[in-house]
Amino acid sequence: MSRHLPRYLVQLLGTVIGVVTVTFFLMRAIPGDPALYMLGDYATSDSVAALRAKLGLDRPVIEQYLLFMQRAVTGDLGTSVVTGQAALTEILHSVPWSISLAVSGMAIAIAIGVPLGVISASRQGTWVDTAVMIVALGGISFPVFWIGLVAILGLSHWAGLFPTLGASSEKGLWTSLHHLALPALVLGVSVAAYIARLTRSAMLEVLSQDYIRVARALGVPERRILYRLALRNAMVPILAVISVTFAWSLGNAILVEVVFSRPGLGSTIMKAVLARDYQLVQAGLLLLATAVVLLNTTFDALYVVIDPRLRSR
Amino acid sequence: MSNDTSRPALEADPASLAKSPGRFAPLLSHPGLMTGAIVLVVLVIVAIGAPWLAPHSPLKTDLMAAFAPPSLTYPLGTDQFGRCVLSRLIWGSRVSLQVALSVVLLSLSVGTLIGAIAGYAGGWTERLLTALTDVLLAFPGFLLALAIVAARGSSLESIVLAVSVAYVPRVAVVMRAVVLTIKSRPFIEASHAIGMSHLRILFRHVIPNAMPPVIVIATVSAATAILAEAGLSFLGLGVQPPIPTWGNIISDGQTAIINHPLISVSAGLCIAVTVIALNLMGDGLRDTLDPQMRRQTGARMF
Repeated sequence: MSRHLPRYLVQLLGTVIGVVTVTFFLMRAIPGDPALYMLGDYATSDSVAALRAKLGLDRPVIEQYLLFMQRAVTGDLGTSVVTGQAALTEILHSVPWSISLAVSGMAIAIAIGVPLGVISASRQGTWVDTAVMIVALGGISFPVFWIGLVAILGLSHWAGLFPTLGASSEKGLWTSLHHLALPALVLGVSVAAYIARLTRSAMLEVLSQDYIRVARALGVPERRILYRLALRNAMVPILAVISVTFAWSLGNAILVEVVFSRPGLGSTIMKAVLARDYQLVQAGLLLLATAVVLLNTTFDALYVVIDPRLRSR
Repeated sequence: MSNDTSRPALEADPASLAKSPGRFAPLLSHPGLMTGAIVLVVLVIVAIGAPWLAPHSPLKTDLMAAFAPPSLTYPLGTDQFGRCVLSRLIWGSRVSLQVALSVVLLSLSVGTLIGAIAGYAGGWTERLLTALTDVLLAFPGFLLALAIVAARGSSLESIVLAVSVAYVPRVAVVMRAVVLTIKSRPFIEASHAIGMSHLRILFRHVIPNAMPPVIVIATVSAATAILAEAGLSFLGLGVQPPIPTWGNIISDGQTAIINHPLISVSAGLCIAVTVIALNLMGDGLRDTLDPQMRRQTGARMF
C-alpha cells in the first residue's frame, strides 16, 4: 500500500490540475462579459472596468488561467455575486446537507442493490432473476425527480408518513432524520437499481471463471462457492460499480434536493445558475469534481488492499 | 502458390465476413430487443406525426377550461392554462427524441474518433487523450451538463452540446479499450503488410470492427440523454416554455400535483417508457452483438 502511495498522489494531483483547467476553460465559454453581467444593466463603465480589473478579465487568457490556478491553490474561488461572500465559503456551507443526503442515499442503495444483484446472478434465468431485473430496469428508467414527486404524493400526502418538503428548521436529531428519510429513500432506490444491474453482471462474470467450475466439479457446496469464492472475487468489480455510481448519483442528488426543496449543494448551485452567479457555479463544479476524483483515488487504493493480485502491479 | 496451405491462414476482417444472411437472426429473436425496437418505432411515428395525431394545439390556452378532468375532448385533461395535456405529451416526444438522436450522433462520432485515435496511435497521443477523457470523466455528467447550459443559456443546441460533452469521454473510453484489442490482431498486421495507410486501416478496419460495444453504449447514452434533458427541463434550464417537453410538463404539473396528479404522472410515464425501450435495446444488443467484448470493456460502459 505505502509503496503505491506516491503514485496515487501524483495521479491525484495531475487529475485535480486537469479538473481546475477544464473548469476554467469551460466557464470561459460564457458568451458576453461576466463583469457587465454581474453588475447589471445600470452599471457605469467605470465600475465595469473596475470589476473587470478585479476579476482579471482585462488580461490575456493565459494570464487569467495562471491567476485562476494560483487563487484556486490558496482556496480563493471568487466571490458570490448575490451574497458577496467568498464562493468557497458559500459552497462549503451547504456541504453538510448534501453529505448527509448522499451518504444515507448511497447506504440505502448499497444495502438494496448489492444483495439484489448477487441474488439475481446466483439464480440466473429463474423468475427471481427476471423479476429483479424488471424492477431494476424500471428503477433506472424513471426520472429521479419524478420518483420524488410520486413519493411525496403517495407517502407524504396520502399516507402521511413523511413531511412533504424541506429540511427541518427546528433543531433535533429526530426531526432532521425524519426530513431526511424520504429524500434519502428516493435517491437510494434510484441508485440501487443501477447498482443491482452492475453487481449482477460483475457476479456473472466471476461465476463464469474456471476456478468456479473447478470448485463445482470438486463438489464444493453451492452456498460456499457463492459466498466464499464468487462474492470475495467480485468485491473489486462491485466496489468499482459503487465508485462509478457515486459520481453519477451526485447528479441525481441535485434533482432530489430541488424536488424536496432541501438546502444543499444542489440547491445552492441551482440558485447560482438561475442568478447567473457564475463564480459560484464554477466553485461548485470544481468542488464536486474534486470530490469525485478524491473518491475514485481512494477506491483505487482500496482495490489493492482488497485484492492481493493487484499488489504486484 | 495460391493453394499453399502450409502458410498459416491469415484471419480475415470479421466485419466484412459478418455480412452473411444469418447475421440479423439473433437480433430478431431477442424478445427485449424487439420490444424496445417496436416501442421506439411507435414513438418515432408519434413524434413525426404530432401535427396530425395531437387532438389540439399544444400551445392553445383556454383559461375557462383550466384543470379540466379527462374527457372525450381532452383525453388526459388540461393543465393550469387549459392546454390539452395529451397534445403536449405528443409534441413533447419530438424534443426528447431530437435530443436523444443528436446526442448519440454527436457523442458517438466525436467519442469514437478520439477513442480510436488514442487506441490506434499509442504513445504521447494516447496518453494526452486518455488524460483528457479521465479528467472529463471526473465531472458528474449531469452537473457538467448543468454548468454548460448555465454558461451558454438554455436552448435545444445547448442541451445537446452539454449532454454530448458529458458523453464523449464515456464513448471514447470504451472505444479505446476495444481498439487496443483489435490493433494486435493479425488482419490489421496484414493490412500494414500490404501497404495500406494508417488512415485507411483506421477507417476501413479498426473502427468498423470496434462498433458493436460502441453501439451498445450509444443506446445507453440515448437513454441517459433523455433523462438528462428531462432533468434540465424540470429545473427550468431546458427548452423554454411554452414549447412542451416531457420535463417541463412534469415541472408545470408539480405545483398542482396534489389535486391534479395526472399531468406530472403521465409525462413521467412517457419518459420512462422511452428510456425503458432504449435500455431494453441496449441490453439486447449487448447480449446479441458481442458478448465477448462486454468482458473486455467491463463495467466502465456505464
